[in-house]
Amino acid sequence: MPERLANRLKERRAELGLTQAELAEKVGVTRKTVNTVENGVFTPSATLAIKLARALGLSVEQLFWVEN
Amino acid sequence: MNAFTIGLLVGLGVVLVIAAIAKWRTRNKPMSVAEKAEFLSKRRARMLPALAVIFLSQQATFFSQMTGGEHVSAEKAKISAWLVLSALMLFALATKGFWFERKEVRDLIDDENTQANRNEAMRLGFLLAMGAAIAVYTLTMFDPTVTAREAVHIVMSFGIAAAILRWGVLERRAHRDA
Repeated sequence: MPERLANRLKERRAELGLTQAELAEKVGVTRKTVNTVENGVFTPSATLAIKLARALGLSVEQLFWVEN
Repeated sequence: MNAFTIGLLVGLGVVLVIAAIAKWRTRNKPMSVAEKAEFLSKRRARMLPALAVIFLSQQATFFSQMTGGEHVSAEKAKISAWLVLSALMLFALATKGFWFERKEVRDLIDDENTQANRNEAMRLGFLLAMGAAIAVYTLTMFDPTVTAREAVHIVMSFGIAAAILRWGVLERRAHRDA
């Protein structure tokens, strides 16, 4: 079974009361990119993963993990 | 001035008119950089598949004369206009597009996900162009009347149309999930 990068972006974003657009603006991407990362459609680069984790006040490992 | 030159000028004129209309339509909409990037990105996702269809439909003129007949002036003009559209689409694929927008907007539109989609589209376009080249090369072994111009036209058509269509599909999918 192929591995995929799972995340808790949506839950954490909701906890902080942020919209996709607001999070996108914080990390300097479009809402589309945040949306595709949230849905697992797009695997972000290490740079973007770090930026997202920082914006959401988590470590990269807390925000992303590999799922089999 | 011959028909090919007229076609080139008409193609350039149409491109400039479309750019002016697009700019004019957003003149009174005060938007932040992020809003504008979102707006333009969605518009691009809608436009790309339509552009690919228009691009492919233009091929009918060219291929209708592939059997060796002469193009009439109007057809020559259309072929030149096709050349402008080809160059434009190739340039849009290779760069960020939206050349008349501010740099911040252009940078944001071409974010990580868009770059990934664009790269995937170019990969497919390249593969199909090479596939078309192999097919044409094979064809010339049996039918040596295929000219270099016709061969280039086929390779370009396959490569560019496939890349534009793929990019459009990927962008629409990314927006649809929103």
